[in-house]
Amino acid sequence: MNALSQFAPASAEIFLTFAACTVLLVDVFLPDRYRVWSYFLALAAVAGTALVLVATAPAEPVVTLSGAFVADSLSQLLKLFTCAVVAVTFLYAKDYLRARSLFQGEYYVLGLLAMLGIFVMISAHSMLSLYLGLEIMSLSLYAMVAFNRESPLAAEAAMKYFILGAIATGCFLYGTSILYGVTGSLDLGEISRRATALDGLDVHLLVALSFILVGVAFKFGAVPFHMWLPDVYQGAITPVTLFIGTAAKIASLAMIFRVLVDGLGPMHASWADMLAVLAVLSMAVGNVVAIAQTNIKRMLAYSTISHVGFILLGVLAGTTSGYQAAVYYTLAYVIMAAAAFGMIILLSRAGFEAEALEDFRGLNARSPWFAAIMLIVMFSMAGVPPLLGFYAKFSVLAAVIEVGRTWLAIAGVVFSVIGAFYYLRVVKLMYFDEPVEHAPLVAGSDLRLVLSVNGLLVLALGIFPQALLAITAVVR
Amino acid sequence: MIEAVIFYFFGAVLLGAAIGVIASRNPVHSAMFLVLSFFTSAFIWLLLEAEFLAIVLVLVYVGAVMVLFLFVVMMLDVAPDRLQGGFTAYAPQALVIVALVVAMLGVVLWAQPGQLSMLEAPPRAPPDASNTEALGAVLYTEYVYAFELAAVLLLVAIVAAIVLTMRKRPGLKAQDVPAQLAVRREERVRLVRMKPERDE
Amino acid sequence: MIGLSHYLTLSGILFTLGIAGIFINRRNLILLLMCVELMLLAVNFNFIILSRFLDDIAGQVFVFFILTVAAAEAAIGLAILVVLFRSRPSVQVDELDSMKG
Repeated sequence: MNALSQFAPASAEIFLTFAACTVLLVDVFLPDRYRVWSYFLALAAVAGTALVLVATAPAEPVVTLSGAFVADSLSQLLKLFTCAVVAVTFLYAKDYLRARSLFQGEYYVLGLLAMLGIFVMISAHSMLSLYLGLEIMSLSLYAMVAFNRESPLAAEAAMKYFILGAIATGCFLYGTSILYGVTGSLDLGEISRRATALDGLDVHLLVALSFILVGVAFKFGAVPFHMWLPDVYQGAITPVTLFIGTAAKIASLAMIFRVLVDGLGPMHASWADMLAVLAVLSMAVGNVVAIAQTNIKRMLAYSTISHVGFILLGVLAGTTSGYQAAVYYTLAYVIMAAAAFGMIILLSRAGFEAEALEDFRGLNARSPWFAAIMLIVMFSMAGVPPLLGFYAKFSVLAAVIEVGRTWLAIAGVVFSVIGAFYYLRVVKLMYFDEPVEHAPLVAGSDLRLVLSVNGLLVLALGIFPQALLAITAVVR
Repeated sequence: MIEAVIFYFFGAVLLGAAIGVIASRNPVHSAMFLVLSFFTSAFIWLLLEAEFLAIVLVLVYVGAVMVLFLFVVMMLDVAPDRLQGGFTAYAPQALVIVALVVAMLGVVLWAQPGQLSMLEAPPRAPPDASNTEALGAVLYTEYVYAFELAAVLLLVAIVAAIVLTMRKRPGLKAQDVPAQLAVRREERVRLVRMKPERDE
Repeated sequence: MIGLSHYLTLSGILFTLGIAGIFINRRNLILLLMCVELMLLAVNFNFIILSRFLDDIAGQVFVFFILTVAAAEAAIGLAILVVLFRSRPSVQVDELDSMKG
């Protein structure tokens, strides 16, 4: 392989980097009244990246750039999905940012760069590229959380996110350094070979694994490393929460797959038990604490934590069907979360954030259509058949039972039932209470259209689950 | 022998400085202790034949990052006396966590059947070996992807820092150089015809 | 003779001090950032030690990138701190309690 063809599998990343730089440069010279062109350019950049991805799709897994980069069917699937999610996020964000005079090109530049970090993590084949991708994403996200400089809440959330993130990265790196000492390599393939040779039971490997797991659990927001999540969800402006709640979750999934499955796969017996503890705690704390929330963004944060528990359940099964279920669940969750945060953006307007649960009161009287969309999303998150969330939960539970961890499946069902309460409360508020707010919805037609499609997708993929199942079947 | 002397002397100073960082009540003192711990670390790194990184640690960390820290500490003007009470308030939790970490690290260091304990130090590199050259040789070949990613990361940091801290306030007194240069005589000078006045 | 375990003990103690510092100083943001720097220093130590004992340059390359990232991270962290300080005149963590639940 000559020097340049090494880079060919990374064409999408290279295109995205140049596109982000172009948006950055163009934005500097745009007068304020043409600012919307930054938005169009950013959307074009995402679309172009998706096209390049499709054009350079590898027939079989390729490891290149001295083992730092891998392109396989999993990376292809997650990257294309990231493109879609980021595009939807940008679209939802436009009117919101405009109404609050936050409509600056930097939101889109940082969003594109965070997306690049996510891509790098998805394709990481060495601890070094994983770490750099993680940092590119995290640093962009820290800045995006603090984006609204006038808001003390945003700055506070960003600071908590930053400090806890830096500590988690420190633990992750410490684990990586021990791993490097034991295996003598940073390459995930080589680490896997050495771990197999050591039978996965080396005591140093176990210590390395636990430090690394702290970092992974933190990025995912699994209990007991979830402290940042509710504050960040609440403190950041909703378009940023949307980004963290959707695109960044795909990155966390990729991180867990690359480190635990690709790298430390031979140690499955050890990390499965650790993940089981994290998963049960996450489902318990997430679902129970969510009931006490009055702020819908905080409620969705705790709901995220509980969904993370389910995703971890799928991963810890350690079988192909388990991995597929975890990917399926993550993609399903991302679609649902995008719709839920989209609804919050839809109900908000200049000077008014629809963040309290009360703001959803009587939505049916104001807009029956969007009340129905929210109903679909809430039911789906609760796991009511025949919606998307039901099949996600079902496939995870099936995978867990298959490997004989029935009690984990029982815990999953019990906590889902508890969790259904707070989703149904939102539905009750929308349909059976009198509206306190009578202002008409001001959102533009593009937001209404995409949000409707997003909500109907939750319904359609629930009725035809084979569509998404077929896509996730590429995960080996 | 000389290696042991260097290791124990700088190791002791390093740990003392680290304790100083976490126990000082005045952030400026903490920062200075941190500078000291970076310096002593650099000495031990020299012992480990990482000459280039030892220099970089001093140049980048002491020279840039710590100066930034001190700059912010002084700009924000944290009163030292407000930090009192923190030391003991969280001591129990700190003890539990620290005990846990110590136990784990103890396992790493002294577990006998482990892989790490089998490692022996390779012989010293010859005097003319260049650490910088060895790093440079792989940095632009084997690690070119990571190198480019680091470049993107620095771009992120630049964009983020500017987004967060630069603000165009109305009524800011700033020089507009092109406007100053474009000034014409008529806009600044007015000739006034006055009656002569008598000195008295 | 100074062996691997001597060096690793030193970096281990450094890492533990960093963690302990985070718990002791959780009231002051700037000190928290410094404790994170201590943790990263311990990580760098580990990589350099292991790089020497494995006779492999990869560990040093990793340190090179950690140093780069940490500098960028410090810049962003301090920028957020400045934003925070503009909105409220305190760097005390226990006053960061406007969000609960």
